[in-house]
Formats: sequence, C-alpha cells, structure tokens
Amino acid sequence: MDKNNFKKKFADFHDKHYKLLLLIPIVLLIGCFIYMGYFYHQNGDFIHKDISLTGGTSATINSESLNPSDLKNAVSSKLKDVNIREISDLVSQKQVAIIVETTSDENTTKTVLEDYLGYELNGDNSSFEFTGSTLSENFYNQLLIAILIAFFLMAVVVFFQFKTPVPSLTVILCAFADIFMTLVTANLIGLTISSAGIVAFLMLIGYSVDTDILLTTRAIKREVGSLNRRMFESFKTGITMTLTSVAAVLASLIIVGSFSSVISQIFTIMTIGLLFDIFNTWLTNVCIIKWYVLKREKKKHEN
Amino acid sequence: MKIKFTWRIWLWIIFVLLSLIAIFITPHFMQNGVLITSVTKNSSAYEQGLRADQVITAVDGKVVTSTEEYTKILQEKFVSNESVKLAITTTDSEYIIYSNIAPQITVSNLPSTNLNLGLDLKGGARAMVQAEGHKLTSSEVNDLVSVVSNRLNVYGISDMSIRAVSDLSGNNYMLIEIAGATPSDLENLISQQGKFEAKIGNDTIFVGGEQDITSVSKSGTDSGIYSCEQTSSGYYCTFRFTVYLSESAAERQAAITNNLTVKGSYLSKSLDLYVDDVLLDNLSISSDLKGRAETQISIQGGGSGETKSDAYAEAQAQMNKLQTILITGSLPFKLEIVKLDTISPTLGTNFSKYILYAGIVSLVLVAIIIFIRYRGLKSSFAPLLICTSEIIITLGIAAMIKWDLDLPSIAGILAAIGTGVDDQIVVLDEAKHKEEVLSIKQRITRAFGIVIGSFLASAVSLLPLWWAGAGLLKGFVLTTLIGITIGVFITRRAFGDIVKMIEE
Repeated sequence: MDKNNFKKKFADFHDKHYKLLLLIPIVLLIGCFIYMGYFYHQNGDFIHKDISLTGGTSATINSESLNPSDLKNAVSSKLKDVNIREISDLVSQKQVAIIVETTSDENTTKTVLEDYLGYELNGDNSSFEFTGSTLSENFYNQLLIAILIAFFLMAVVVFFQFKTPVPSLTVILCAFADIFMTLVTANLIGLTISSAGIVAFLMLIGYSVDTDILLTTRAIKREVGSLNRRMFESFKTGITMTLTSVAAVLASLIIVGSFSSVISQIFTIMTIGLLFDIFNTWLTNVCIIKWYVLKREKKKHEN
Repeated sequence: MKIKFTWRIWLWIIFVLLSLIAIFITPHFMQNGVLITSVTKNSSAYEQGLRADQVITAVDGKVVTSTEEYTKILQEKFVSNESVKLAITTTDSEYIIYSNIAPQITVSNLPSTNLNLGLDLKGGARAMVQAEGHKLTSSEVNDLVSVVSNRLNVYGISDMSIRAVSDLSGNNYMLIEIAGATPSDLENLISQQGKFEAKIGNDTIFVGGEQDITSVSKSGTDSGIYSCEQTSSGYYCTFRFTVYLSESAAERQAAITNNLTVKGSYLSKSLDLYVDDVLLDNLSISSDLKGRAETQISIQGGGSGETKSDAYAEAQAQMNKLQTILITGSLPFKLEIVKLDTISPTLGTNFSKYILYAGIVSLVLVAIIIFIRYRGLKSSFAPLLICTSEIIITLGIAAMIKWDLDLPSIAGILAAIGTGVDDQIVVLDEAKHKEEVLSIKQRITRAFGIVIGSFLASAVSLLPLWWAGAGLLKGFVLTTLIGITIGVFITRRAFGDIVKMIEE
C-alpha cells in the first residue's frame, strides 16, 4: 500500500516539522513587504494604475485591418503615454478591434486618431472611455477605503464566528496574505490595475476566507477523528473548491479575456489570488491551527 | 434513490419558475410589431398621440414585424420633400400623420426578454458631470438634472436616463446615460452652459429661457434654412427662425432703441447675439423699429461644409442647438465632464455571446472536477443544475427590478456562481462522510454552518463598494448579493435535500 505509506510518512514529517514549515510563509511575507516598500518608494503608489485610475482616454476602434504597430508609431509623438492592444476573435484569431490607451484627453485623442485614420470616429466604429484625473484619483481613494472597510467587516464576522482570538486572527491573516501576495505578484508581472481590478481584490476576500473557515471549523469545532485526519479531509474538500474556481476563472479568462480589459483583469487577479489561497490555507493556516489545537489539547490533558 | 420533493425543493422550483416568468413574459409577449422607444416632443407624430412603449403593427396597412421592414417602408415613402399622408397602426389605435419628413420616432424590435442590458453591452454614452470649480450640493444637482434633461429632450434625445449620484466623500455628480447611437455633439449639449444674450451695445435686451422668450418656432415657414451659397472653401448655408419675446423683453428693447439714432434705413447700433460670451451674429435693426415694442424677432446664423449637403446638415444642427438653448435657457453652472464613455454596440453583441460560452465551459469543467473527485454522475450533475438555477433566479430578480446588466453585474453573477460551487462542494463532502456517527441530516446542517459563515464574511465585505466610486460598481454588489443570498437560503438548501436523496 504505497498510498497509505506515503500518507503516514507525510503525516510524520508534518507532525515533526510543521512549526518549521511556517518559516516559508513568514519569509515570503517579509519578502513581499520589502518588495512593496521598494515599489512604493519607486512609484509613489501600491499598484501600477491604469488610465481609469490615473485619468485618460481609452479608445476602441473596430477594425480588422488596422495595424497596431503602425498606429503606435504614428500617434506616439502626439499623444501622451500611448499603449496599444488588439482584440481578436477567439475562433478565427482575426483581429476585431484595436484599443488605444493614453493619458491625453478624449478630444485630443479623437482628433489625432481621426487624422491618422482619415475617417470620422463615431458610435458605430469606435468606443471611447474618458476619465478625468481628479475623478479617477477620487475613485482610487474611495476604492481603497472600501477595501479597508470590507476587510474590517469581514474580520468582525470571522471573530464573531470563532469567538477565540488565535483561529480568527489566523483566518484574517491568511486573507491578508492572499491579497498582499497577489498584489505583489501583479506588480512583479507589471499588471496595470483599473477600478475593476480593485474589485477583484475585494472578491478575493470572499474566496479566500471560505476555505480558511472550512479548515478552522473542522479543526477546532469537531472531535471525530484525529486532527491530522480532519485537516486532511478539509484539504481534500478545500482543494476541490479552489480547483473548480481556478478552472472556471481560467476558462473564462481564455474565452472572454481578450474582449474586455475589465473582465481579463478581474480573472487574472482571481487566478493568482486563488493559487496563493491554496498556499496560505494549506500551509500557513494549517500549521498555525495545528500548533493551536495541539497546545489546547496538551493544556486539557495537564488539567 | 427515492424521489422525495421536500418543501425546500418545491421552494427552489417555484423560484426558478417565477424567475423564468419574470425574464420571458414581456409586456409584449406573443405580439408582433416594432416597439416605439422614443418620440421627439412636439413633432407631428407626438402631436398625433404616438408615445414611447406603443407597439406599431402596421404602416399604411402593411404589416410590420421588424425594424428593417419599418425603415424600408418609410424610406420608400419619404423620397421627395412633398407632404404625404402616413397611417401608423398600433396595437390599440390608428394614427394619421401628414408630413414631408419621416416621423421623428425611434423604434426597436420587440424585446424577447425583460432583461435590460447595460451600456457596456448594448452601446450608448455615459457622462458624469460636475460643476467647474464648485462643489455641487444635492439640490443643485437636482436642478441641473431637470435643466439638462429638458435641454436633451428639446434637442430630440429621449431614450436616456439622467440622475444625480454621489460618492463616499460626498461629491455629487450628474450621471447621464443615453442608449444607442451617440449624438456627435453630446459633449457640447451637456456641458455647454448655453448662456444666450441679445445685446444692444452693453445693454442686455433678452436672454435664453422662458422668462424672456415665450416661444421659438421649430418648424413651418418661420424656421428653416433659406439659402446656401458657394464660398472659396466650400458651401455656407444660412438658417433663420422666429423667436417670440415676452412683453417685458420687448419693452426693454423699445426703451433702448428709442435712444438710438437713425442711419439710413437702419438704427445706429445693431442687435448682437452672444452664446457663452462669444459673438454669434449681429443683426441690423431697421429704422421703423425705433422705440417699438416688437415681440417677434427673426434670428439667423449658418453652417459651412465642404459639400452643399454637409453645409446644410451643419446649419441644421447649429439651428437646432441654438433653438434648444433659447428655449431651455442657460445652465446654472459652468460644467465639466469628468467621465465620458461612448460605447459602440458592435462589440457588445459578440461579447454577450462569448460570456455565454465562458459560462457553459466553466460549468462543464466544474462538473468534470466534481465527477473526478466524487465519482457520482448524479452528484456531479446536481451542481450544474443548481448553478444554472442560480443564474436564472439572479437574472429573474434583475429583470423584475429593471436592473441594467452591465459588465460589473455580469462579473457579480460569475462571482456568486463561484461561491455557489464552493458551498455545494462543502455540502456534498459532508454528506459523503458516511463513517461518522451523525445522521446525514445532521451532517448537512453542519455543512451549512460553514456555508453561512463564509456567506456572511463575503456579504459584509461587498457592502462598502455600493457607495464607492459614485455607484458605478453597484451592479457587482447587487448581483453578487442576490446570487449568494438566494444561494444560501434557497438553491443550496434544495441542493442539500437533493444530495440527501442521492445518498440515502
């Protein structure tokens, strides 16, 4: 029975070294803090903001023939911070539209593009999204406040649920670590974040606490089976939950991602976040809760 | 497996059925025709009694079932500039219109569902407006909303929504959403203050708005384009229309012209027309008007273009704008557009199709993973059914409260489905722990302990978003909350009972 053998060996290993294993998330988290400090120092902010948060114009031109690099060469000198992407049909791989992002205002962008294209841009052949810089700064600050309040409310609910400090704090810490590590990863891969991206971080709060709540409930509120057994059962459940979410999110990202930067950003951040959730729930949370339960049991025996 | 319909399963079925009714039974269920989405106020069609939401079934006795047919009939009918008789049959009545132009109404195909698609998906324009250098109070925004909606109505846009919105830091904005094609000078229409002044020297005779202007001719012989001339760079067309002044404005004019001297057949000073402090035109005042309280004034202006038809269209647009400003008066504030999105409807349709594909593929993948994990056909099929029903119920509620489904709302539905799958796995998992002493009922109850815990945590974390960002992300909060709430209290409960049936 290789499988059982492995299980036993793994359990022995885990029993012996679980406190040591905690070093991995601790080191990683410290690393993230250091990187974030450096990033903030460099950029003056926590994220790479996209034009919906810095202010600017995003123009989508419906065209199958427009060449993105030609367009970029032609308009780069006339518009500020130009960034060009293309949208293509999933099946035929044919280009459907070109997206031009710039911090210039809508009128300038429209005029420059029309000059290059030689025809008028109207509601049938293009979409424009313009956000003024004061408004976007305002949006950004409010979304940050919203996330902080959301996090606080979630923490209150979790405390209320477990009514003991260590398990509650662990769940909250893991949710924080998920979001923070995802943020750092997003910055590392150079993902620019819009207001929708910030919403994705908010979604992560919900997705990350459910596996932690599952694990913690089963570990501290149940008595049947050994602690390792209960945790392993939770792991099987939790990993199925996270994998179904990852599969659904990834499939959606591939199918609709190219169409909308909003959807693609939400799904990219979700995917990264869910992967970190696996790490934080089944390494960080498991080790802390194991430490806590074993200590509690030991105390009970001593009394 | 013994099939036993518990009250939870019945409740679930009833909710699904009610939602299907809310989505698919439209006010025009089983009807044929085209739906009027807007009628330009004071147009001949409007005066005859045609209104938005009526259903046109026939034009001149020919049955109409789609917008293409409707447009084709009208195009064939209004080829020349001559006045013709047009009979429009709606579901309740018949309207006869005599006109030389096609009726100023917009139509759409009869909707097959009650779902309202947001601008992201059906195309249109959205503008958020603030006063320049002034923080608007909520009553100021409300005043602004009524002035601007009046202005857009007079201009001829009626398929729109204008409302006041505010954000977490207490800023008030005016949010304007216009469905369908975006008028090309939307920006001007919304944010141009439109301060119209007619002056003689430094004295103001009258300004735009109902206080000084009793009416403005918009059609007939008193209003129109009366000449087009070739210029060095193309064409220039001149428009002219009549404005009727109030008694007090006319007397003001009389008092001021009385002091002017006569020079030939005109008075020494002209009547200067300004729009937002820019001189639009100056009209010479004929000498016989000296000291006379004349209430009728003819105003003119023009538009130029490369071709004659361009110039004609430009002059017509300028005339419409000027008439609008004269009727509605100036806005109380100098405005600034802080956000302006114009979304082309072309990508929207494709996008909706791919969202549907993504939904189906995701659900199938979820079913496959659950099948690999639990090896039960029934237990992997059940989540598919539950998830689909959650989508239907969320859409049903959205249709019932007439919520515009925009991108954030769709992301919200996806988020809710994601937690739904998670919850069902928790329930399924607890139910499969057969070795435990607890009964299946107790185990499922225990599962819901975990489910409720994560439900509460997710629900409260969503709330702050409702107020952030001037409510542009409300859709996300709303659909997620609907989804997870009906999930936790209705559909996932029914799932618990279904699993019980499968396992027993």
